[in-house]
Amino acid sequence: MALPDRTEDLLRKIHDAVVACDEAASARLCHTLLAEGLDPYEGVMKGLAAGMNTVGTLYEKKEYFVPELLLSSDALHAGLEILKPHFKIASSQTRGGTILLGVVEGDIHDIGKNLVKTMLMAGGWEVQDLGVDVKLERFVEEQRKINADIVAISALMTTSMLAIQKVIVMLREAFEEIRIMVGGAPLSQETAKQYGADGYAPDAVAAVQEANRLLKRPL
Amino acid sequence: MQLKQDRMTSKQRMDALFHYRKPDRIPVGPMGTGFATKNAGYTVADAYEDPEKSFQAMLWTYEQYGWDPIPHYSGHTLIGAWEFGGEVKIPRGEFEGALSVKSSPVESERDIEKLGIPDPRSAGRIPLAMRFSQLQKEHHLPVYFFSRSPFCVAASICRLDVFLRWTARRPELCHRLLHISLEFIIDVLTYWVDTFGAESIFAWMSSPTESNQLVSPKTVEQFAIPYHLEYQEQLRALGVKRFGLHLCGDQNLNLPVFANAAPWQHPSVLSFGHEVDLETAARHFPKDILFGNIEPALLQTGTPQRVYDLSRVAIEKGKKAPGGFILGPGCGIPVYAAPVNVYAMTKAVHDFGWYE
Repeated sequence: MALPDRTEDLLRKIHDAVVACDEAASARLCHTLLAEGLDPYEGVMKGLAAGMNTVGTLYEKKEYFVPELLLSSDALHAGLEILKPHFKIASSQTRGGTILLGVVEGDIHDIGKNLVKTMLMAGGWEVQDLGVDVKLERFVEEQRKINADIVAISALMTTSMLAIQKVIVMLREAFEEIRIMVGGAPLSQETAKQYGADGYAPDAVAAVQEANRLLKRPL
Repeated sequence: MQLKQDRMTSKQRMDALFHYRKPDRIPVGPMGTGFATKNAGYTVADAYEDPEKSFQAMLWTYEQYGWDPIPHYSGHTLIGAWEFGGEVKIPRGEFEGALSVKSSPVESERDIEKLGIPDPRSAGRIPLAMRFSQLQKEHHLPVYFFSRSPFCVAASICRLDVFLRWTARRPELCHRLLHISLEFIIDVLTYWVDTFGAESIFAWMSSPTESNQLVSPKTVEQFAIPYHLEYQEQLRALGVKRFGLHLCGDQNLNLPVFANAAPWQHPSVLSFGHEVDLETAARHFPKDILFGNIEPALLQTGTPQRVYDLSRVAIEKGKKAPGGFILGPGCGIPVYAAPVNVYAMTKAVHDFGWYE
């Protein structure tokens, strides 16, 4: 078993590899972590996810933009692929909840949605990703199956944002208790409220904060 | 409602702006391709597939709303992905309002080797755009040549997320795509100039991928500006005198970058999204004609009073812009915008937009 200092050093290096968008270093360090018998779950949460959270802060400060988010996300996933088979997350360990995520029918923009997914995962959320151009009925069907804590829906076009309005009505009719958050370029806090959503996030970093806020709110 | 009588035609109004003279009133210009065809009882797809229907729809819609033909197009003359062999989806579904790229021809470095410059006369929807331009010429309207910026075309030929990663990891691949994109844009533009004459052409360009919602001002400086400069050189060489650029989305951090480079001739029309304050834009671009910037989503979800009030504020700011001002949406008018909201922009111009 590695010494505490060594553990801390390795976790910091994994964190730094994600922040530096260094996919190769992230994978190599995660292999090292396993070889040295360290806790892979700590590697994910205190290394990879912590790194992605720092990336989120840099994005909020406009020091990082989407290219850096994408590359950091690559670095996170490279490490995650190595560590994930070696641990099981007990529900008590999950910091967030479960979230059903998708881009509505008529819209095939996936970059923003994928970044939201990565940031949520880094924030300890379990994400069920329905992808893009998702038929509205499918949001209802999938929510019936998994009963996610939050349904997160996005659109990037003024036309497809109308589908959000429609799917919110469908979800509210189908479920008495449900939390819905929305996002995407043409939406705003005001539109989200107008459409009947519980939450709104303007970007991937804010999405995690908003999901955490909604989760604390009783249904 | 009683409307004041225009004292200038649209042409005279635009000519005045391009000579730094005050027109009778602030022009009001749309970007309303699919809105116009829907308004005329056609489909959104007709805007992109049927130049005759699209043109007729625009003529009637422009007259209905008192719009000036700034800009006036049936979609992009060229996109990038489509002409180079990718797949583009025509909007046909209930929630679809614009062309969208389904697949890009470049996903890896190897794909770039296979790229050739497409035929500027027949690739993608160029023949349809040409027919639309012929109708403009026949009706004595400016002939709009509408491309995306080289940066956006390159990011459309290449899968967007791959291109964005390459800006940080493989800049040389980005530059290869940018050179190819610029060359193709100029090829198609030259075809337009040969067909209609440079004096008839109004070159219009949009740059959504350059927005700071995606990339940093440094990326814009490094990858976009050099090609804007080269494009403008080509415009001058071809004799095209009128140019407009739609700086789509949040480009606040890019304003000083564009202002320092000042790639275009003055005045040019600079169209801004609602994210950019018009007074700020005027400070950065005092020699250019500002255009904008009513939030498109509000035209769909807001009330006419709200649009009217925002239009009044935009007009008040725009009137102070030294280079002149055109009222319009901050991006395309949504297909399902409430007609009364769209009319509220025109009403605001009639109530507040006069220069006397």
